[in-house]
Amino acid sequence: MHGALTDAELVSRALAGSDAAFSRLVERHQAAVRAFLRRFLGSGWAEADDVAQEAFVAGWSSLRSLKDPAGVRSWLCGIAWRKAQDRIRSNRRGAARDSGWLEMVETPAGVAPEEKMALQAAMAELPADVRACVSLCLGDGWSHGEAAEALGLPLGTVKSHVARGRARLLKALGGPDDA
Amino acid sequence: MTPEQKLAALFAAEAPPRRDYAFEADVAERIARRRAWMTVAALVPWMVIAGIVLWALQSFLETLSLELATLIQPLALVVAGTVVAAGVGLWLTGVLQRRVTVAATPK
Repeated sequence: MHGALTDAELVSRALAGSDAAFSRLVERHQAAVRAFLRRFLGSGWAEADDVAQEAFVAGWSSLRSLKDPAGVRSWLCGIAWRKAQDRIRSNRRGAARDSGWLEMVETPAGVAPEEKMALQAAMAELPADVRACVSLCLGDGWSHGEAAEALGLPLGTVKSHVARGRARLLKALGGPDDA
Repeated sequence: MTPEQKLAALFAAEAPPRRDYAFEADVAERIARRRAWMTVAALVPWMVIAGIVLWALQSFLETLSLELATLIQPLALVVAGTVVAAGVGLWLTGVLQRRVTVAATPK
């Protein structure tokens, strides 16, 4: 029913009270939001999915504040990012924060388990802003502009964060120091 | 495999599925719960107002209920009598009908 509708049309229908339209938005953007949170939070997937659900519910209740309905994916990821930061600040995770990252992921062919652990450790050492930029731009292929909009950071900052984060991760995977 | 390819492969390995019905159902459930709470929260001020109004009208309503009771009492007696009479009438009709049916049945 809502298959061919654009995000802007779905937002408009959701604002008019259509739960089906909002469900379609969830269906369309859940993968992006959850992938971002899995990489950013670095814990088990259950926590990332929990934060993702909180983000969608927050999005539903504040849909009227969305200025650009076509940019709903960036907007949702921005909400998810703030929720994830709150989660990191508030809890219980602390030093154990990144211990579970990638543990649930099967090691892809051509990648050694030690390299997976090295990447896990390198991600854990990245500052939160850098990790968020890396998750979006390197993990999901977002443009620097999209990531800047979603995270509320200046474009130049995003570019430098991505470059710095990429260099650190590649170094952890056996790349050169100035990768 | 270059470090670049390894990084891409590791990132790709943890991507969630394009469609996840369980996740979507969980979000829908949370939204329904949030909506229910919002409805309750929206009703609270009206309940408070209704309570205050009833409290303010308490003495008036007490007097009114006594007056109404006096007014309604004869009417209630008539209605109760009618209901009892109708019930008895229906019961007698049933009894008579059974007796007539038994008497008319050939042995």
